[in-house]
Amino acid sequence: MGTVVTIDVYTTDGMAGADVRRQLASARAILQGADAVFSTWKPQSPMSRLRRGEITCAQAPAEVAEVLERCAVARELSGGWFDPWAMPGGIDPTGYVKGWAAQKALAALCASEISGAIVNAAGDIASVGGLGPGKPFRIGIAEPFSPRRLAAVVELTGAIATSGTYERGKHLIDPHSRRPAARVASASVTGPGLGLADALATAVAVAGQSGLDLIEPLDGYEALIIAFDGTRHWTEHFPFAPREASPPS
Amino acid sequence: MKRAPIVIMGTVAGLVGTLTFHTTPAHLSLGTLPGTSASQPPTVPGSGGSSHGHSTSGSSSPPKQGSAKPQPGTTRTAVGPAVNYNFGVLSVKVTVSGTRITKVGIASINDGGMYRSQSIDQQAIPVLEQEAMQAQSANIQGVSGASYTSAGFAASLQAALHSLGLR
Repeated sequence: MGTVVTIDVYTTDGMAGADVRRQLASARAILQGADAVFSTWKPQSPMSRLRRGEITCAQAPAEVAEVLERCAVARELSGGWFDPWAMPGGIDPTGYVKGWAAQKALAALCASEISGAIVNAAGDIASVGGLGPGKPFRIGIAEPFSPRRLAAVVELTGAIATSGTYERGKHLIDPHSRRPAARVASASVTGPGLGLADALATAVAVAGQSGLDLIEPLDGYEALIIAFDGTRHWTEHFPFAPREASPPS
Repeated sequence: MKRAPIVIMGTVAGLVGTLTFHTTPAHLSLGTLPGTSASQPPTVPGSGGSSHGHSTSGSSSPPKQGSAKPQPGTTRTAVGPAVNYNFGVLSVKVTVSGTRITKVGIASINDGGMYRSQSIDQQAIPVLEQEAMQAQSANIQGVSGASYTSAGFAASLQAALHSLGLR
């Protein structure tokens, strides 16, 4: 997938290092495994072979069918604005896989007594827990016009994904016209699962402001968009962090 | 509360994990994870702009573990390991006063000298430097919507901070 993943684990006192080490190793193995199966840049990956028609979905590893099924759900929920089947060059579930793999890696870290963990796949973030009891993680959203600033800070429960035209490496394709398109500068989606949040963020970035209407009825998912004119729009319960009186020293 | 992390970086073709283990108060040395493939020479993609699945190298010089506790008011500087990013290799230098970051900058960068990578770097790097300062003052644990370049930047910065016994 050609991306960088950082994993932060916040432990409670007294947790054995060997446990964390083992969990990090399995989290890493999950990410590597997902890359090996789904990379569209590796010519011999099952996904690449599927794209070329050399194998069928049934001949591919089981998680291919699982991911494609989830992609179909995401396509449905996004009103067709997220559509891996409408990508140039054939089916491409990359927009779902990165978040899905990060979410799976996160699950590998949850086995023991940690206060929280963050898996950050190049700005798309899956999390569990927080810094401690009553201290949720705070995640900034990059300001699309002036990345020197943060557009917002959220108190994260679960996952957040952000899509936008300012980001290199993400070419947003309008599945209806099958051409590059984005109708807002940036779209962020929070929710319980990063795979779906990522797919929905892509969908909203392409759909534009009307994309908020797709997210509002989805249980647990919220969205914030920043329009090209700088105006902001969000769903009713978008988890903005309360402003702090002063930064901690 | 400041937490002492362990930074683990290794090379994985197409995907790299920077694994940070925060714990209070003990330092734990985890070293390099088993199964990490050998380091590969830095690669520069043949064309800018695309998100190739290129390999990313980990720390050439792992940060020291168990550093002394930060002293208030003491100014110290550390350079993070050289980390691959989309267009080449960079390392980050950080200066702290006590436990506060006072300066973040690029210690070294090799982007292959291609026009496109250079122009992107010239735009992105001052932004990333500022972002690091901003992130600190906003007391956040991550940024959503960060770019590919920033991930390499963050990895090196994280290791540099760690070598100073911070975050």
